[in-house]
Amino acid sequence: MMDSLMPLMVIIPIASALFLNLLHDKDRTIKILAIVTALVLPIIPLLTGYGSHYFGGYAPLSQNSVIAQGLPAIITSTQLFVFHPGIVYVFGSAQKVMIFVLGIVAFFAIFTALNETKKPSGVYTYLMFMGTAAATAILLSDDIFNFYVFFEIAALAQIGIVIASNVKNNYETALKYIILGNIAGPLLLLGIALLLGVTGNVNITDIIYSIKNGYVNPQNPVLLMALALITFGWLYGSGLPPFHTIKSALYSKALPHGAALIQAITVFIMVALGVMILRIFSYLSFSKMAIIAVSLLALVLSITMAIVQTDFKRTLGYLAVGELGYIGIGLGLGTTLGITAGLFQAINEAIITAFLFIGFGTVLYKTRISDTRKLGGMMFENPRVALLVLLAGLAMAGVPPLNAFQSKLMLIQASVQAGVPELGIIMILLSIVTFMTFMRAFYIIYMRPKPAELEIHDYKIPKATIISLVAFLIICLTLGLFPQIATSNLQTLASSLV
Amino acid sequence: MSVYDSILKRIREIQGKTEEEEPLTNISASSMLTAEITLISSLLIALIMVRLISKTLMIVLVIAVFFIALMISPIMPKLMREQNDSFSNMIFYIVLALGIIVALFYWGNLNV
Repeated sequence: MMDSLMPLMVIIPIASALFLNLLHDKDRTIKILAIVTALVLPIIPLLTGYGSHYFGGYAPLSQNSVIAQGLPAIITSTQLFVFHPGIVYVFGSAQKVMIFVLGIVAFFAIFTALNETKKPSGVYTYLMFMGTAAATAILLSDDIFNFYVFFEIAALAQIGIVIASNVKNNYETALKYIILGNIAGPLLLLGIALLLGVTGNVNITDIIYSIKNGYVNPQNPVLLMALALITFGWLYGSGLPPFHTIKSALYSKALPHGAALIQAITVFIMVALGVMILRIFSYLSFSKMAIIAVSLLALVLSITMAIVQTDFKRTLGYLAVGELGYIGIGLGLGTTLGITAGLFQAINEAIITAFLFIGFGTVLYKTRISDTRKLGGMMFENPRVALLVLLAGLAMAGVPPLNAFQSKLMLIQASVQAGVPELGIIMILLSIVTFMTFMRAFYIIYMRPKPAELEIHDYKIPKATIISLVAFLIICLTLGLFPQIATSNLQTLASSLV
Repeated sequence: MSVYDSILKRIREIQGKTEEEEPLTNISASSMLTAEITLISSLLIALIMVRLISKTLMIVLVIAVFFIALMISPIMPKLMREQNDSFSNMIFYIVLALGIIVALFYWGNLNV
């Protein structure tokens, strides 16, 4: 009965996106409707029961007693009996936590956007809902082609959010991202086509069944090529090197609430595609090595680039991309602890980066400047917001008792247990550098004397922004003090991948 | 010339090329230096993982990379120049990465 709620997690944001777009000029209606719908997003996954949803009612024959009755042995004794003929959504405890967190970030991003902009735009809200719907579908889908369709919708929604931002040079960055997407997207699709060609299936469970039960040669070169192309698509979707430059630019050209949502969408696309690669190709040890290598590269390149930036939005953009490296290392370790830690880090990062983007966004709101060389003295303007931003930075660096401390500690433990303590040392080193990078930006913006030419506008920071920041802090503290709330739910998925 | 001096010189060169009027501050110099140290130390620590394949290779690589890093440092200004927002640079690295991935996945899975 509860399973019927599963598609609503995607249908509700899409339907409200389309409806809000129609109400383009009706500001008050848009505001009320958008907030109510956004509030529903994190609630549905909590009410939905675990299980699978077969679109069109096309369940596998093995689960459909009416049709299965009287079928000849040529069907019932072969793989046809267990194959999934239609699109399938799978909802487990890990999906529940991730969709809940995505819903929370989406709600606060939309809530802040509607209160920070003087004239709420139905189009902007449309893009935010559409991006959330696409990321939710990607987390749920067990169908690799359906997955790809929503992957492209998510990319378009992200570009739309950047174009709608009115930030200088946003069009150029969006255009670059879409052109690069035109290289990576079709290659991902080609990888999927090769998988379909070899296995005759687009359902991920069925593809794994074919590989594990000897219907397909696991060392088939076409499968290896499919893995390479899908991994390339994963790099684009996640913003891992060589896409880290454009992804960080994309974050910096969006409005703070937009960037908060874009990074959450990116984090969950990275996790979903990473989990899919592990599910299908974990028998190839090289796939895990590649995930670790790329993640390590992302960590080092992005964090070193973050330190030397003079635009705080770009610094945050690079830090957000760098943090993805931790998630990748967890997934690449391939142990239950490692994957659980990676998934936990993903949840934490989605919350903390949104917290930081919206927190630092208040500086932009008051000054319209993101160049750190022109900023200073913001502590006197609003010490409470400064404290919240400081706590967000501490959370990102992994300071206890905040949430990333728990996930980073788990990641270090997992790397030691897996026999690669070097990864643990690098993660500690880069956490320290992340802390230094954040403190550098914090000192320049908030603590050094205010430059004489800096003009601070008299706008009051909206209450919605403060509420969002406090809510993020509460979530960070809760997950930091009681990590088992998340890890116990993530462990099932992690153990199934080992 | 010490590493610190050469970093300062290189930053001045970059600033000159981009026609930035901002002075070279303590913050920008220390940021660049931190990035440089982080980059080299992470690379050296990561190379220790080569011990899983061959211990001798690991020792040779660590020593070689250490000396190469000393000789060509500062690396960070060069890396910054490569990771700019130029579209041609992005396309170049993306095509390069695609080539490496396809070659490595094909070769690596059959041989590792």
